[in-house]
Amino acid sequence: MAVESPHVTADVIEAMEFPDLARRYQVRGVPKIVINDTIEFVGAQPESEFLKYLKEAVGQNGDAS
Amino acid sequence: MAFIADKDQETIRQHFAAHLAGDVEIVLFTERESPIIVPSIQPCETCKDTEALLAEVAALSDRLKLTVHELREARDEAASYGVERVPVFVLKGAARGQVRFFGIPSGYEFSALIADIVDASNGTTELSEATRSFLGGLDQEINIKVFTTPT
Repeated sequence: MAVESPHVTADVIEAMEFPDLARRYQVRGVPKIVINDTIEFVGAQPESEFLKYLKEAVGQNGDAS
Repeated sequence: MAFIADKDQETIRQHFAAHLAGDVEIVLFTERESPIIVPSIQPCETCKDTEALLAEVAALSDRLKLTVHELREARDEAASYGVERVPVFVLKGAARGQVRFFGIPSGYEFSALIADIVDASNGTTELSEATRSFLGGLDQEINIKVFTTPT
């Protein structure tokens, strides 16, 4: 997604190596995804679900599209 | 000892040859071992391995280049990528946004790295029309953190 938009930064974080980040974002299972430090979910999701989370993160109604 | 087995190197080399359209620079921020041991400072456990692994990956295509910065000596450069930890690397190519990896990309993350290098090289993804349309119309910043573990 960061490839497609200049507004997106994607970070792949190895939780064991950065325990402070893992703690701060309360990582208990992986993969854990955190969007804009507010929206979060655990486990791989279908792309359409992921998109809903992205829309939620920027305040767009997920049902609008 | 090589991190990537000979057989896998050949597979990845062919994959890169077929799919890399543009150059990708892998910019790594690291901390080389200090001859001085400071008890209060935790040495970087995976920096050396991360650099060695990325060097092996970069050697698999002429389109790839690895640039290594000592974090302490490249604060400005690091700040431009929002990097303040080690080992962290950024994929620079045709990606419009920024792709950063925190920590050594082993296990499942290694395949994610190879796929991300290909996407960064091409500036395109296999995302759906709906997702690409959303991203194309985006006018605010989005940061996505994906936490993983080595296994």
